[in-house]
Amino acid sequence: MLGLTPRIDPTIQSLLDDRDYLAELLDALGSPLALVLPQRATENVAAFRATFRRHHLSGRVHFAHKANRSSALLRELAAGEAGVDVASLGELQHALSAGFTADRIVATGPKNREFLWLAARTGVTVSADSADELAELAGIVSAHRLPRVPVTLRLSGFASSGVRQLTRRSRFGTPAGELAGLLDLLAGRADQVHLTGVAYHLDTTALPEKAVAMENCLAALDECRARGLRPRSLDIGGGFGVNYLADGAEWERWTTELGQAVLGRRPPLTWDGHGYGLRAEGGTLRGSLALYPAYRPVTGPAYLDQLLGTPAPQLGRPLGELLLDHMYDLDVEPGRALLDQCGLVLARVLAVSGDRVRLDVNARDVSLEEHGVLMDPVIVPRPGDRRTGPAGFYLLGNLCLETDLITRRKVCLPVEPRPGDLLAFVNTAGYHMDFNATHAMHQPVARKVAVYRSGGARRWCLDEQYWPVHSGQDTP
Amino acid sequence: MRHDDITEAIGNTPLVRIDPAVHGLANIDLYAKLELLNPFGSVKDRAAWHMARPLLERAAPGDTVVELSSGNTAKALALLAGMHGLPFKSVTNRMKVPEIKELLLLLGAEIDELPGGSECLDPADTDDPLTRMHRQLAAEGGGYLHTDQYFNQRNVDAHVHGTGPEIVKDLGGRAPDYFVACVGTAGSSTGVARVLRQHNPDVEVIGLVAAKSDFIPGIRTIDEVHEVGLFDPGVYDALETVTADQAIDGLLTLVRRCGILTGPTGGGAFAGALRHLRAVDASLTGRRSAVFIVCDRLESYLSYVRDRRPELFGRPPRRNSVRTLTEAELGAAPVLGIAAAQRHVLDAGGLVVDLRNPYAYQALHIAGSINIADEVFAELLHAGLPVSRGRPLLLVCPVGEKSARYAALLRRMGHPDVHSLAGGIIAWRDAGAELVRD
Ligand SMILES: Cc1ncc(COP(=O)(O)O)c(C=O)c1O
Ligand SMILES: Cc1ncc(COP(=O)(O)O)c(C=O)c1O
Repeated sequence: MLGLTPRIDPTIQSLLDDRDYLAELLDALGSPLALVLPQRATENVAAFRATFRRHHLSGRVHFAHKANRSSALLRELAAGEAGVDVASLGELQHALSAGFTADRIVATGPKNREFLWLAARTGVTVSADSADELAELAGIVSAHRLPRVPVTLRLSGFASSGVRQLTRRSRFGTPAGELAGLLDLLAGRADQVHLTGVAYHLDTTALPEKAVAMENCLAALDECRARGLRPRSLDIGGGFGVNYLADGAEWERWTTELGQAVLGRRPPLTWDGHGYGLRAEGGTLRGSLALYPAYRPVTGPAYLDQLLGTPAPQLGRPLGELLLDHMYDLDVEPGRALLDQCGLVLARVLAVSGDRVRLDVNARDVSLEEHGVLMDPVIVPRPGDRRTGPAGFYLLGNLCLETDLITRRKVCLPVEPRPGDLLAFVNTAGYHMDFNATHAMHQPVARKVAVYRSGGARRWCLDEQYWPVHSGQDTP
Repeated sequence: MRHDDITEAIGNTPLVRIDPAVHGLANIDLYAKLELLNPFGSVKDRAAWHMARPLLERAAPGDTVVELSSGNTAKALALLAGMHGLPFKSVTNRMKVPEIKELLLLLGAEIDELPGGSECLDPADTDDPLTRMHRQLAAEGGGYLHTDQYFNQRNVDAHVHGTGPEIVKDLGGRAPDYFVACVGTAGSSTGVARVLRQHNPDVEVIGLVAAKSDFIPGIRTIDEVHEVGLFDPGVYDALETVTADQAIDGLLTLVRRCGILTGPTGGGAFAGALRHLRAVDASLTGRRSAVFIVCDRLESYLSYVRDRRPELFGRPPRRNSVRTLTEAELGAAPVLGIAAAQRHVLDAGGLVVDLRNPYAYQALHIAGSINIADEVFAELLHAGLPVSRGRPLLLVCPVGEKSARYAALLRRMGHPDVHSLAGGIIAWRDAGAELVRD
C-alpha cells in the first residue's frame, strides 16, 4: 500500500481517539462538519515570535485571514498579540468586529473604493498595490477629510544581477523599478498618506527568490530614507508553508511510483490514471508535478529562520542581520503556516462498493485536491465489527458531478470503511476548509465548531458563538 | 602535438589502470577513462562540440546558443560559442554549486535561474523546465540555437564515435566485461554501451544515479532520469543509486591514492563500480576487466565538498576570535547605557565604532562614529588591537549583542577603556537620541 500518512499533533489525535464525541457532534450538526482549534493558532503565533527573538527582530505577525473564514480563530488571535492581514471589505469588517484595533490590521491585495474608505476611516495600514490605488486612497482621504492613513508600498518584479533569478510574473504590487514615481506621489500627498514601510509577497517556495526580493526591498527602504521619509518596516508577506506528512519516505515513494504509473510501468495510483501534471511522451516523463510539496522538512517559523539566515545575494550578509543593521521591523503575513494543526473536517461514509467510498461531503468542503495537497484521511470506524485491510479506496463526493472526487488519488486506509464510519481530513484549517465551499445543488456547507480547552476540560461551541472569554477563566 | 584549434584537442583521453592495492579486487582489472582531461575539463566537451558544430556552422551573427544545463555542458558551450563570437545562455533550475556559477559568468555566459514551485498551487502550471525554456525563448523572439542535450541523438553519437571506440582500442580491441557510468543526459553511457555491445554482447552495463532526495552535481536522481529523452532503461543491466557520501569517499580515494583529480561523479562511478564488482569478484574464475568514467575535475566542487565534509578543510583556530570567549568573559562584557556613553565616550573625545554593514551605517548613524563592519573588525583583531589603549572606545551594533562580544574580547586583549552600547543603536533611536546621515 502506498499510504501518505498525515502529521497529527496530540490535540487532534486525542479528538480522533474519541469516536463517541465526534459521532455525537456529527449527529447533531450534520455531515460534513468543520472543527477549528483556535488555541493552537496562538501557539503557532508564539513559535513565529520565537524566531523573531532569535534574530532580535521586532515587528508584527499578521494572520492572513484569507486562509480561513472562521470567527473563532480570528477572535482568539485578536485576544493575543498577532495582527491580521485582510484582503477584502468583508475580511476587514470581520477583523474589526473580532476586536482587532486599527494599528493591528493591514489591508492587502487590490482594493475597491468601499474597502479603501473603511480602511482609511478606521485608520488601518493600507498596503498599496499600485500607484493608482495610492492616488485613489489619497483622494478618498482628502474628499472625506479623514486623518492621514499609514501606508506601505507593495513592490514586485525585483531585479537580480549576475545570475538572473527568474520569478513568475505577479499580478500584484508596483514594479520595483517604479518606486521613484510612488515616492513622488507620496510627497505630493503627504497630508493624506504617510509611509510606514515597503512590502512584498511572492507565491513561491524558493528561498533564493525571496532573498532577491528582500534585498531589493531593503534598498527601496533606504531610498525612502534618502528622500527624508521614516519607514519603519519591511513586510515580507506569507508563504512559509506547512508540512502535511508524517514520513518523507512515503512521499518520495508515492511520487516515484506516480511517475512509473504515468509511464505505464505499474498499475495506476489515481482515478483514470490522472498524472497530476506528469505525462508520458515516447517513454519519457514530461510535464512537472502540479502538487503542493506535502512533505517539507522546513516550514513555518523554521522556514522564516532559514530565510533570515540566508545571505543577501549582493551584500552577502544574512538578511536578518541586514534588517537589524538598518533598524527595520520585520512584518510577516502567514496564512497557511499559522493554521498548521488548527482544524479538521469530518464526513460520514454513505456507501462502499469495491474500492469506491461515497461520502457525505464534497470536494469543495475539503478542498485538498483543488490546492494540490495529498494526504490520507483518518478513519474513525464504528466499534465492534472486524474488518479487512489495509486497502486503497477512491473517495467520491456528494455532488452529481463526474469530477466530484475528494481526491483523484487512491487513498490508503488501514481498514475497509463501512457506512456510518467517519472520515477525518486533518490539518485542513489553512485553505482546505471553507476557501472553496459553496451551496451548489443545495448541499449544505459544512457547519463549523470551535473546540477549545477551558477549566481543564474540552469544550465546543458553534464557531460564531466563540469568544476568547471562557467561564471560570477570569478568576485568578 | 600541434593543433589549429582547441576543439581538435577534444577526445582521445587516456584509460588508466587503477592500482589493485587500492581497489582490492582479485580477479578484475579496473580502468578509469579520464574524461576530465578533455580541454574544457569534462566528458561533456565531446557532446557539446558534436551537437553545437552543425548549429554554429549555420549561425547568423547575433544568434545566441542556449541550453538547459547547470554545469559542464554549459561550460563547454560557453567556450565554443565564444570562439564563434556568439553569446551563450544557460537556463537552469539545478545550478546549486556557486563556483560553477561564478566560472560561467567569468566565461561570459548569461544564466537564468528558473523560479521555484508556487506556494498556492496553480494546477494549470505543469510545464517542465524544458517547456518553460522553450516558452521563454519563444516569448523573446528568434535568434536562438538550442543544442537540446536531453533529446539530441548527437549527444549519444559523440560517444559512439569517440569514447566507445577509444576504450575498445585501448583494451587491445576488446570490450571490457563491466562498464560503469553516472547518468546525466544518458548520452555518454548510452553511446559507449552501444559500441561495447557490438564487440561483446555480454558486457554488463551499470548506470548510476543519485538517490531521490540526494544531490550529486551533474547527474540525475532515480526519478529525474525518467524525464530524460535519451534515457532508455534497456541500455542498463542495472540502474543503481550512489549517495553523495559514497561519491565523496570515492573521490577522496582517487584523489589521494591514485593521483586522479576527479570531481564527485567520477568518485561516485568508482564507488559504485567497487560496490558492484566486489559482490562478484570472489566467484569469478578467470580474469575480467571493468571500465568506469571519470567525468570531470575536482576544482569546481570545493564548496560542495566543504558543505558535506567540513572536517576535510580543518584549519587551526585563529587568535583573538569571539568564538573563544567564555561565559564568564561574556557576562563581564563592559557596557554603557545611552547617557553614560554620551558622557564617557562622546564628550570625552572617544571613538565610536559602528559594526553594522556600510549601507546601514550610511543611511543612519551616530554623529562622529566610524564604520568598521563586524566581519572586517574580526579580521583586524586576529592580528591584534587596532585601537590605541589610551582612547575610550564605544562599540555599536543593532541590539548590543555583537558589540558586547567584541567589547569582552578587546578587554581580554588589553584595551582598558572599551564599552558596548547597551541595547545597541535601536535602543539609541528608541530613546530619541540623535542619528544622522552624512
Ligand atoms: C499578500 C499576501 N499575504 C499573505 C498571504 C498568505 O500566504 P500563506 O497562506 O501562504 O502564508 C497571501 C496569500 O495569497 C497574500 O497574497
Ligand atoms: C559531472 C558530470 N558527471 C556525469 C555526467 C553524465 O554524463 P551524461 O550526460 O553523458 O550522462 C555529467 C553530465 O552532465 C556531468 O556533468
